[in-house]
Amino acid sequence: MKIEERNQSINSLLTCSAPICAHGHTGCHSPTLSDLFDRVIQHSARMHGLSSDLHSDFEQYFLPSRNQIGRINRKCHTAYILTPNGKENAQRLAREELTEVILKLLAAWRDPLSQFHRSMARHEDFTSISGNKALEMSDMVHQLKNGVEKVAEKMQLLGMISNSLMSLSSTEALAPHSASSEARSMSDYELLYCFRRDSNKVQNYLKILKCRIVAEHGC
Amino acid sequence: MMSRDSGASLILSLLISAVLDSDGLSPPGKPRLTSCRSPEKETFTCWWEPGSDGGLPTNYSLFYRKENSDTVYECPDYHTAGRNSCFFSKNDTSIWVNYNITVVATNALGSNFSDPVDVDVVYIVQPHTPENLTVVLEDEDNPFLVVRWEPPRMADTRSGWITLIYQLRVKLEKEEEWEEHFAGQQKQFNIFSLHSGEVYMVQVRCKPDHGFWSEWSATTYVKVPDYISRERSIWILIAVFSTFIFFVFIWTMHINRNSVKHFLLPPVPGPKIKGFDTQLLKSGKSEAVFSALVIQGYPPTSYYDDLLVEYLEVYDNKEQVLMLDRKDLQESLFKSKSSSDTDSGRGSCDSHTLLMEKCVEPKEDQTMMPQVKDSEASRDLVMKNDSNTPESTNVKTKTWPTICSSYHYDQNPCYHSIPEMPRQCHISSNHFASTHQQDYWESPADIYHKKPPSGYRYAQAYSEFNIKGIALKEATFPASKSLEYVEVQHVNQENTLILKPIGQEGPDLFHAACTGHDYSRVNRVVSDNVFLLQRDTSGQCHSDCQEREAPVRSCTQQQPGKPADHLQVPRVQETHLAPNGYVDTATMLSY
Repeated sequence: MKIEERNQSINSLLTCSAPICAHGHTGCHSPTLSDLFDRVIQHSARMHGLSSDLHSDFEQYFLPSRNQIGRINRKCHTAYILTPNGKENAQRLAREELTEVILKLLAAWRDPLSQFHRSMARHEDFTSISGNKALEMSDMVHQLKNGVEKVAEKMQLLGMISNSLMSLSSTEALAPHSASSEARSMSDYELLYCFRRDSNKVQNYLKILKCRIVAEHGC
Repeated sequence: MMSRDSGASLILSLLISAVLDSDGLSPPGKPRLTSCRSPEKETFTCWWEPGSDGGLPTNYSLFYRKENSDTVYECPDYHTAGRNSCFFSKNDTSIWVNYNITVVATNALGSNFSDPVDVDVVYIVQPHTPENLTVVLEDEDNPFLVVRWEPPRMADTRSGWITLIYQLRVKLEKEEEWEEHFAGQQKQFNIFSLHSGEVYMVQVRCKPDHGFWSEWSATTYVKVPDYISRERSIWILIAVFSTFIFFVFIWTMHINRNSVKHFLLPPVPGPKIKGFDTQLLKSGKSEAVFSALVIQGYPPTSYYDDLLVEYLEVYDNKEQVLMLDRKDLQESLFKSKSSSDTDSGRGSCDSHTLLMEKCVEPKEDQTMMPQVKDSEASRDLVMKNDSNTPESTNVKTKTWPTICSSYHYDQNPCYHSIPEMPRQCHISSNHFASTHQQDYWESPADIYHKKPPSGYRYAQAYSEFNIKGIALKEATFPASKSLEYVEVQHVNQENTLILKPIGQEGPDLFHAACTGHDYSRVNRVVSDNVFLLQRDTSGQCHSDCQEREAPVRSCTQQQPGKPADHLQVPRVQETHLAPNGYVDTATMLSY
């Protein structure tokens, strides 16, 4: 999907042809929560795919000398975010917490990805395709975060989650300052490695959230 | 002290190992981690491959470290997954955590470490095969297969923890190639366009959105009933093939329509008449067309009318005979005309068929006749007995076989080499021993000249074989053998040569005398100044019997009773031969 189409599809979440009605105005045709979830899940899948491709390209061209592929020396800068490491742990979390984790993750990666994209552009060895992927990936993080926020609003609107926990600004405020500086010191490969994992987490958490909230048959 | 002890133990171990080496024993070889797999993203298993054991019992152990932790843990379960494996249960498994795993092989002589492997469970998921594969045949008339399956038991797709996509493959039992289909996340698939009466094999497998494909499930067999009868399909095939052949045939006929039209409806041949112009006929000018066909002088019917009329006029006492002869003439004429197709406009003397007819005719005649002695044996002389029947003609048609044979040589006997013909022809003199007055040769020439036949006897040979009707009362006639030349007297209208024998002055004299001109012949000189004239009568003209051998008497007998009022011809004059062998007939006439 091209960047323009991706932006458009994300924007459709926000201002679709049939505008999202706030507070349940009658006569509006608003997408259902299930549709919203499907869209964000699609976006997250696309994002994770891009990150996987870039990571494998990196491993193929830039790290043949590494003794141990897939290993980093430092933690990811998002290590401060407590994320469930298993199914039980993820199911044990409340919906609000899960949504918050997702939003935190997405928020934490906005700046490092743009940094990564700028770094990619400077690399002369990288092909234009990879550069496009990096750009798309950084854009997608931002749009996905917006989309998930819309989903959260929708859920709050529908009363599925309480309004107690989250606010848009709080997620960013909770991020420690050191995390961003730590992210800046990471190499490109480390950034890719960490983001590949975190995008997988986001996708998985969204699926769990969807199946828990939108209790369709067979999920 | 301690260093001495350690040094001693070291030396001792080296010695022992050296001793052991000499026996073929060694520390174990380096093991190798082959793979680690997680079937449901909750547990995982790692397998390793042992190296050489060095001849000693070797112990393998697996150690791992988690990400960003230096704590070394050992494998919790070596047995669940079988030999040379390590099973990580749920409690020991952390997702999105990097495991650093190492296998150590240990025997009495030493140990060996494998290369460490970094594993993140998320990326090593390989589910089990799908379960409960069912294939159902629906809709008997147009059957299709409905394939259903269940996800593997352990994979938790209901909570969204794992998302599986499926793939199935189908093939006929007798085939070799599988036909694969992607089913996405659905757990049902329809297969259409089945072969009737065949057995199908179906398999299915699955894959997480980021992971490895599972193994193919167990095969399910299904039999499709015969919903298309074999006969119907064969008939359909025959119909299609026939239609194709039919169209090819029509196309070929269309291409060759001209040849087909010629074959079925052959063109009617047009008339091919010489001188016939079809275009002229089409234009409508029939007169011009037919005038081209008309040849002048054909048919000579009008001429023969004249002929008949003349015939009747001239000869009155011989009318009956003339009539008969005329009939014969007509017959012969018409016969001659009909026998030849190219005779129109040309002289009958050109008609070799006529000649041949005449040559043949004598054989058909009833009468026998005395053979005229001739040098040529083929010479025939026909004489018909005069009978009471008017039809039977006392025909003495003299055929000149030489003419018949000569015709083969001469193509234009009428117009050239006239003297040749008489040379070849042996014409009997007209001196037939016939007392009958009818013994004469009749010919159209007589008619032409309007000569009274009675008493006239002159030899006239005609190449035209319309000669007939010489009635003979008596069959006695001398074998004429004299050679006579004929000359063309004239050519009548029908390109007929009227010939007369050429003689000395004799014939001319004869002729002259016969024609009744006022000519007198000097018979002899009696005295100095007296010469005797020779009187001639008409009967003398017929003295055809003036042949050598012909007795004079017969000659006189022939004379129609006219008084022999002529001078006596001394016999000695008979011997007067002309240089050419001809007898001076004048001298003989004087009886």
